[in-house]
Amino acid sequence: MSNINILAIESSCDDTSAAVIQNGKVLSNCVANQEIHTLYGGVVPEVASRAHQENIVPIVDVALQQAGIKKEEINAVAFTRGPGLVGSLIVGISFAKAYALSLGIPLIEVNHLQAHVLAHFAREPYPVFPFLCLTVSGGHTQIIIVKDHLEMELIGSTLDDAAGEAFDKTGKLLGLDYPAGPLIDHYAQKGEPRFEFPEPKIQGLNFSFSGLKTAILYFLRDNLKQDPDFIKNNLNDICASVQQRIVSILLSKLKRASRETGIKEIAIAGGVSANSALRQGIKSLEKKMQWNTYIPEFEFCTDNAAMIGVTGYYKYLKGEFTDQSVTPLARWNV
Amino acid sequence: MPEGCQSSYAQVQFSIFFRQVSMLNFLTFAFMELVINEERELNQAVTELLSFAGGRKVMLFSGEIGAGKTTFIQAICRHFGVQEQVTSPTFALINEYTYMPPEGQEAYIYHMDLYRLKNIDEALNIGLEDYLYTGDYCFIEWPALIEDLLPEDVVRINITIEADSSRKLVFL
Repeated sequence: MSNINILAIESSCDDTSAAVIQNGKVLSNCVANQEIHTLYGGVVPEVASRAHQENIVPIVDVALQQAGIKKEEINAVAFTRGPGLVGSLIVGISFAKAYALSLGIPLIEVNHLQAHVLAHFAREPYPVFPFLCLTVSGGHTQIIIVKDHLEMELIGSTLDDAAGEAFDKTGKLLGLDYPAGPLIDHYAQKGEPRFEFPEPKIQGLNFSFSGLKTAILYFLRDNLKQDPDFIKNNLNDICASVQQRIVSILLSKLKRASRETGIKEIAIAGGVSANSALRQGIKSLEKKMQWNTYIPEFEFCTDNAAMIGVTGYYKYLKGEFTDQSVTPLARWNV
Repeated sequence: MPEGCQSSYAQVQFSIFFRQVSMLNFLTFAFMELVINEERELNQAVTELLSFAGGRKVMLFSGEIGAGKTTFIQAICRHFGVQEQVTSPTFALINEYTYMPPEGQEAYIYHMDLYRLKNIDEALNIGLEDYLYTGDYCFIEWPALIEDLLPEDVVRINITIEADSSRKLVFL
């Protein structure tokens, strides 16, 4: 049997990314960065559409080179159709359409949120169906039942802010740079979670982080009145306390989802899965809850094209192709 | 509008000031000030805002983190009957929602957040200008960066947190 090579394009938000997937295995996974632009004599632009336009040709070229695949060997082009910023998505979609048309190969549309889940199939070990996936990033916080590669059910999501945003906005209140998630994690590891922040009372499996943000704001305001150096003197402990609360909100819903569904295969996806407290928290529940847990390598957790390609591969096997009339979708559930 | 809204409306005590100052014969300057003590009072604030806005559809929401910009926009979207979850667009930059106006044709609401943009070029690069002139509702959080791109007839909503944690809403 001959190889199935898929070129994948991801341009739903800030980063332009391209990947080549062979028979479901990742051959290359490239995100546009300064190095690539140095190679091509440009400067990496920062946000969205124009950036994607300038990035997309070089990044596809690099992905093919790194994979050692010629464009004639590509069997299909997979691209992110949504959800995301329309102006950004359209760059990836237009490129994918033109590429597929010129080579006479099929197009595969991919849901970005499904792809985050299927990032677990970029490298072994694979979770066993059905599994629960907690997707946590700057823009998303979701619990999904994954019944098969392309069969998913959303059972919980945030009602306001995403978990990653809770980290970033807390960082802003503390005077840290954006994005503050990794910084909070850094300081938290040196601190004690001795400050109490309330756990929101949200029904079911949905999340809310907006109330926590306000609670932190009031907490800082009140303490800064007593001690103008309160943040400076307590930064590590504040970070540890906030981080512990965000993680406990995530884990308590995940535990509940596991109890309600009886599913013990537990997967984490999205950029916030890099958080050390979340990783430790999940690991510590393995024994207690008899879970098997899965966290993909970090390069597959942030927005990347490999996950689009892996999803594209499973759609290819099922013959789920799309035609040239496809348009971006700003909102699209799993 | 959600059930129970009428009854909570009757219970709420508002401090509403509406001032209309004729500065020059041909120039009328109007603003409105509301104080909100509880989240449920937002429904009344939505009604006040929409009547203050008249037909103006581009609305700018300013206020520090945690002031309640997204929460207020959630209440406005609820008022219009938006079914989708209205969440913070800080990361996504622009969220799109749909609703069915009384006239019957599906309409869009664009919910934007410029918090993480660094300059006006980035706003232009995401095609933000295109949304502002669609004639659809645009609710924009952290709008300072795009003052130069705005149409003339915008509504400004400034939310401040008072010492007692109530919220003062000023419509301009």
